[in-house]
Amino acid sequence: MAVSVARLAIFSPVDSTGRVDLVVRRLGDAIALGLLADGEQLPSESELAGRLGVSTVTVREALMALRERGLVETRRGRGGGSFARAPSEPDVTERLGDLAVDELRDLGDHYAAIAGAAARLAAQRSLPSDVAPLWRSLDEMAVAESSAELRRLDGRFHIEVAAASQSARLTREEIRLQADIGPLLWLSREGLAGHDETAAQHRAIAEAIGAGDADRARDLAERHVLDATDHLIELRLRLQE
Amino acid sequence: MITRSDTVRSDAPPGARPAAPTATPPAGPTGPATGTAVAAALARVRDTADEVFAALADVRAATTGRARAVRRGGRGLVSSDLAALRPLLFGRLGAIIAGIGFIAAPGLLADAPWYLEWWQESPSGAPVQLLRDLDPSSSAFYDYTHWDWYTGPATGAERTICGPYVDYLCTDDYSLTLSVPVTLDGVFLGVAAADVFVRRFQAAVVPALREIPVPAFLVNAQGRVVASNTARWIAGSVYRGTEGFAVRRVPGLPLSLVEGTGR
Repeated sequence: MAVSVARLAIFSPVDSTGRVDLVVRRLGDAIALGLLADGEQLPSESELAGRLGVSTVTVREALMALRERGLVETRRGRGGGSFARAPSEPDVTERLGDLAVDELRDLGDHYAAIAGAAARLAAQRSLPSDVAPLWRSLDEMAVAESSAELRRLDGRFHIEVAAASQSARLTREEIRLQADIGPLLWLSREGLAGHDETAAQHRAIAEAIGAGDADRARDLAERHVLDATDHLIELRLRLQE
Repeated sequence: MITRSDTVRSDAPPGARPAAPTATPPAGPTGPATGTAVAAALARVRDTADEVFAALADVRAATTGRARAVRRGGRGLVSSDLAALRPLLFGRLGAIIAGIGFIAAPGLLADAPWYLEWWQESPSGAPVQLLRDLDPSSSAFYDYTHWDWYTGPATGAERTICGPYVDYLCTDDYSLTLSVPVTLDGVFLGVAAADVFVRRFQAAVVPALREIPVPAFLVNAQGRVVASNTARWIAGSVYRGTEGFAVRRVPGLPLSLVEGTGR
């Protein structure tokens, strides 16, 4: 059964809807993570189409979907165009209610695998110049003045860890998963042991990477994700009561 | 074009065990055939990097020329003045360069504290400028003064090579960034820089490396492998002084060639 479903997925047509979703995901992730800043003007539709290798119609549909999600604002006339809009704090509780416990577990498993592999490779391959930005992010987090700033820096820290692995694919996957489950994990961390515990885990990960301790870096990075997932599942179960 | 990893400088020693640059093709550890192939590989690496640095020299000259002309006109430089660089930048894209431009020192421009006149290739062929409005207060990613392609030139390095690194902001790919300082009358204006995909750099130099009959790979000054003729030392891994290898500086570049000595 699983095999036949997988085969169906493989051979399902790559239609324009699929391409729209891909464009929505790519741009949506970048905006949600602040890779495209709030208020930043996006390239024109034709530029985006050329850059992403899709048709202008696909770009237009994707922008429409992003507008509906509040991630893009389009202004007409002189000085007009499409602009990135940082997402307002999502109603994560509602989002949490949409996910079944086993889906949460699966998301956590996936993210832990990616984060763990990235941290292991980062420990093996990183040089002091890769570790320095991790500490810079942690130092900035220690004095962050708002939850939004803290979250941006948290995202940057984990992307920097992934980039230190030297794997472009792992880095892209880290970015995608952060956009996917990041807000939920953040909800979990805020409720969990507060930021002190999270900060201690971050420091331990950075130390293990700096020391070149690959096994420890992987274990810590996996634990970091799975602890938050566990707590998230508890929150989800409480919603059912 | 976003890294802070692996800046190497032409004025810095290449790793822990620098080999003296040699003017004539050295006889390699395993004989004259190796020496000839090594000399050819060094020349290939230099030619490839020189092509990029030549483009950066043009960008630097055009930027200082524009800045000087504006200053003579008695006003401050603004971001739209840098649009004059575009024909030059567009002409240098393609071949080996995937992105190129001028990165203004914060505060240089009267109308934008942070600005990149930065253009990238796109599948459609028309160059695109993706990052226009940079404001570090709205994104955790945009303060470019920490990145080594910026700090290298800003602190006096004539030629900086960053990476290989995963460029998650601009190219989404495994890249090198090469950069040079732009100054006017001794004052630092910013950085001229170019992104090169690692795979393109490798396509240019690996055939020459393959001619070397022993394991051989190119590393940056910190030991990160850039290109290699063997799967055992592949780009992204780090050479940390393993025995049985000789390190020789690529003349004029912040790169070294590491060869197996067979011992």
